[in-house]
Amino acid sequence: MSNPFLPPSGELSLYIHIPFCERKCPYCAFESFIPSRVDATVYLELLEKEFEWWSIRIGKPMFNTCYIGGGTPTILNSQQWSKLIKTIEKYCNFTPSAEITVEANPNSLKAEHLHAWRDWRVNRVSIGVQSFDDAELEQLGRMHNSAQAYEALSAAIVSGFSVNADFIFGLPGQTFHNWSRTLKDAVKTGVDHLSLYQLTLEPGTPWENMPSENLSDGYYPYRWAQWYLPRKGFKQYEVANFSKPECESKHNINYWREGEYLGVGLGASGYLSEWRYKNISTLQEYADAMTSRKSAITSGERLTPEAKAREAFILALRMTDGVYRDQYKNKYGAFYEQMLLDILESFPKHLYEITDRNIKLTTKGMRVANRIWLELI
Amino acid sequence: MPLSKIRNFSIIAHVDHGKSTLADRLLEETHTIQKRNMKAQLLDMLELERERGITIKSVPVRMNYKAKDGNEYILNLIDTPGHADFTYEVSRSLAACEGAVLVVDAAQGVEAQTVANSYLAADLNIELIPVLNKVDLPSAQPERVKKEINEIIGIVADDAVLVSAKTGIGLPDVLERIVRDVPAPTGDANEPLQALIFDSVYDNYKGVICYVRVKNGVLKARKTIRFMATGRDYELDEVGVFKPTMEPVDELGPGEVGYISATIKSIDEAHVGDTITEASRPCKEALAGYKKVKPVVFCGYYPIERENTNQLREALEKLQINDSSISFEPENSVALGFGFRCGFLGLLHMEISKERLSREFGVDLVATAPNVVYQIVLTNGDIIEAHRPSDFPDPVKIEETREPYIKLSIFMPDEFVGPTMKLCQEKRGTYVGMDYLAPERVRLTYNLPLAEFILDFHDRLKSCTRGYASLDYDHIGFKADNLVKVDMLLQDEPVDAFSFICHADQAYQRGHTVVGKLKELIPRQLFEIPVQAAIGQKVIVRMNIKAVRKDVLAKCYGGDITRKNKLLDKQKKGKKRMKQVGKVAIPQEAFYAFMDVTKAEDN
Repeated sequence: MSNPFLPPSGELSLYIHIPFCERKCPYCAFESFIPSRVDATVYLELLEKEFEWWSIRIGKPMFNTCYIGGGTPTILNSQQWSKLIKTIEKYCNFTPSAEITVEANPNSLKAEHLHAWRDWRVNRVSIGVQSFDDAELEQLGRMHNSAQAYEALSAAIVSGFSVNADFIFGLPGQTFHNWSRTLKDAVKTGVDHLSLYQLTLEPGTPWENMPSENLSDGYYPYRWAQWYLPRKGFKQYEVANFSKPECESKHNINYWREGEYLGVGLGASGYLSEWRYKNISTLQEYADAMTSRKSAITSGERLTPEAKAREAFILALRMTDGVYRDQYKNKYGAFYEQMLLDILESFPKHLYEITDRNIKLTTKGMRVANRIWLELI
Repeated sequence: MPLSKIRNFSIIAHVDHGKSTLADRLLEETHTIQKRNMKAQLLDMLELERERGITIKSVPVRMNYKAKDGNEYILNLIDTPGHADFTYEVSRSLAACEGAVLVVDAAQGVEAQTVANSYLAADLNIELIPVLNKVDLPSAQPERVKKEINEIIGIVADDAVLVSAKTGIGLPDVLERIVRDVPAPTGDANEPLQALIFDSVYDNYKGVICYVRVKNGVLKARKTIRFMATGRDYELDEVGVFKPTMEPVDELGPGEVGYISATIKSIDEAHVGDTITEASRPCKEALAGYKKVKPVVFCGYYPIERENTNQLREALEKLQINDSSISFEPENSVALGFGFRCGFLGLLHMEISKERLSREFGVDLVATAPNVVYQIVLTNGDIIEAHRPSDFPDPVKIEETREPYIKLSIFMPDEFVGPTMKLCQEKRGTYVGMDYLAPERVRLTYNLPLAEFILDFHDRLKSCTRGYASLDYDHIGFKADNLVKVDMLLQDEPVDAFSFICHADQAYQRGHTVVGKLKELIPRQLFEIPVQAAIGQKVIVRMNIKAVRKDVLAKCYGGDITRKNKLLDKQKKGKKRMKQVGKVAIPQEAFYAFMDVTKAEDN
């Protein structure tokens, strides 16, 4: 059965947002709240109502990937997880090989979570380690120390999940020595995927007014990661992501390849029928909308063909495979490809590579990707 | 009124010695103006003049005075501009007089402009009446100052009038001395008309109004007159005098001072120093001393908002109606867009014009660093003028370069001679002489390139003499010098807006400063940018702006895409505000900073 909301290809992802944290990290700009005792339970009820709202419109779609992120999904206890899983199963179908990822924090990840996830469909866990240096973790306002991080990683790995760990570089006072030790340790834990983020001072966070001179230069840690990780079997497949073979995050690749996804939950974003939407981001308004069976969507946008072509090009350049030229031309036309190619060719040659099949940034190009996108947008 | 009862005089003084205050007091003393109608310093009519305490335009005024001898006199006071930029205007005002009151501050003594103005008056053979002002000050030293006047200016000042324009002491004496010592004008009403234009202003209703002094003949309304320099004829609409507001009269005879209007459309038709005669009975010769003033300092004026070019043009046109010594022509700068290259009589004239444009016409503008006019002798013998660096031809085509020089007199306490000489030397000055005016006061004379003078000489002199020096200068013509155009190259492409002209000996140092500044201001880009200073093909300074090494928007997942796009858009808009020269994006600040660098660096 074809549905006007859903992609004809049938490739569809699902994102579920759990907007709760035990503590707000001073650098983080994601939607999240410190919940009272009942908030999480109430929220799961509301989430079910949102699923119900969607089911009237799109039925029970088949998803290829699912990502439950936050916030902190591990703030939910096992009972709440049962409830959440039940809701999801009621409204969603998954392909047999669907990639299902859950985000976890080292301090709140419990054995009960791993059991609950393993008994359901979860096959990938992404853990916000950030650093193996205790002083850095304290600086970041994290609630865990390095010992807890090791514990959480090994528990998840032993439970049979494919595991990603997030790390942050460019911290104030971070030395190259600290960073390289963190990465070396990360490789030793047996994770198969690493996400490396440079600290950015986001508006609306306590750190937004920190003088950026305080931050350490991001160049050396990033360049070193680009050199070191491939030697340990981690291939860079996107600006910020490295993985063992076949361990790339399909869910995230779907974002960068302009795939469609249903976003559910407070503050979540979705992309359906080439239409990008964003949900209400305060708890009260979300609750009001859900209890009165209204839509959770607060804004939406549809790009012009040119803006779309530019965005697709930029997103594809995030990936080391870059733009697949045939696909791109089929979808957006040779005109835009040539237009953007002309811009790209105005840059120094060592930053990009053009073949018959692909247009991509080189390792060096990745380091200055933002500057290149600036001209392409 | 018979000629014997007319006195035409000016007041000359160094800046701040109290010229305008004295003039105001004289108007009060003669009841020309009621005290309650008096704005402070009435004669400085432009708001700007009052603020800066300087006179830019000459304003004549006619006073009736009953002297102690029982006779009624007409005293015509012709105020003069008080700055070396306007020396020619001062000389024409003085030429309209038979005498001048030389005001000297009794505490400060003779300063540079005291001397310069006295010499101007002496050259015109007009009588000088020394007046010591501010004698009420505790620091006043009238005897010392009289001696200075004797020795430096060479006029007997023993009977100088002691006044305080502030308290009113001595004012009647000044008036009496004017009557006694200023010669009555001479002239013949039956001779063909000869009248000197000593200033002109533009009036929205009457057109150009010329301030005139009749030497011979009579100016009568509705007669047809001829301007001798331009050869153009006009019918006189109105003839009048200043009381001090303009009042029409039937005629102006020999020795009289007044104004005329004759539907003259543009001030450029009424040159200061020109002679007016009758069209039907022209005089044989024009009055001596006429010349057309030429701008000596040039700079670019650009509107701050690029779309305001037309507004700036209109404002310049209006300003030029009031001040014909300003010249302007359109020019285009890579950095600043469309603007105008404007010529002025000097730095002060330039600054005042900029202020007037913004105050009177509401134009916000950017002024580029000033430069002088260069003469270039080409290898084929032609001589061309260069008003801006881009006028400089290829060095291989240049036989000789010449630049304008001034003769600079600096008056100061002798303790500052050392630093001042060092400054003049550094500014490529040639020592001319030094003399002691008084035991501890020195006059230092140097020939100096005008280009060095307009750079930052005033500020530097002020700081090395703690403000105790005064100066005056004369233009003394062009002199050959080894001048070069220094080009600034970004990625091997010359950027016009950054090139400048200087002496070959300073090229490296200045090039180094500018290159350093550009390196600091131009943001890193994706490629390395060589910044070079070059003379012709020869690179003299080179620095590199290193390429950007890391700039990644780190995270981008489902919820981030819209946000990241907006962020990129915002960054891109920021980049659009930069000027793209070749592949290099240059922020606007770099162009402004460059002007500061070329204005005041070389330490």
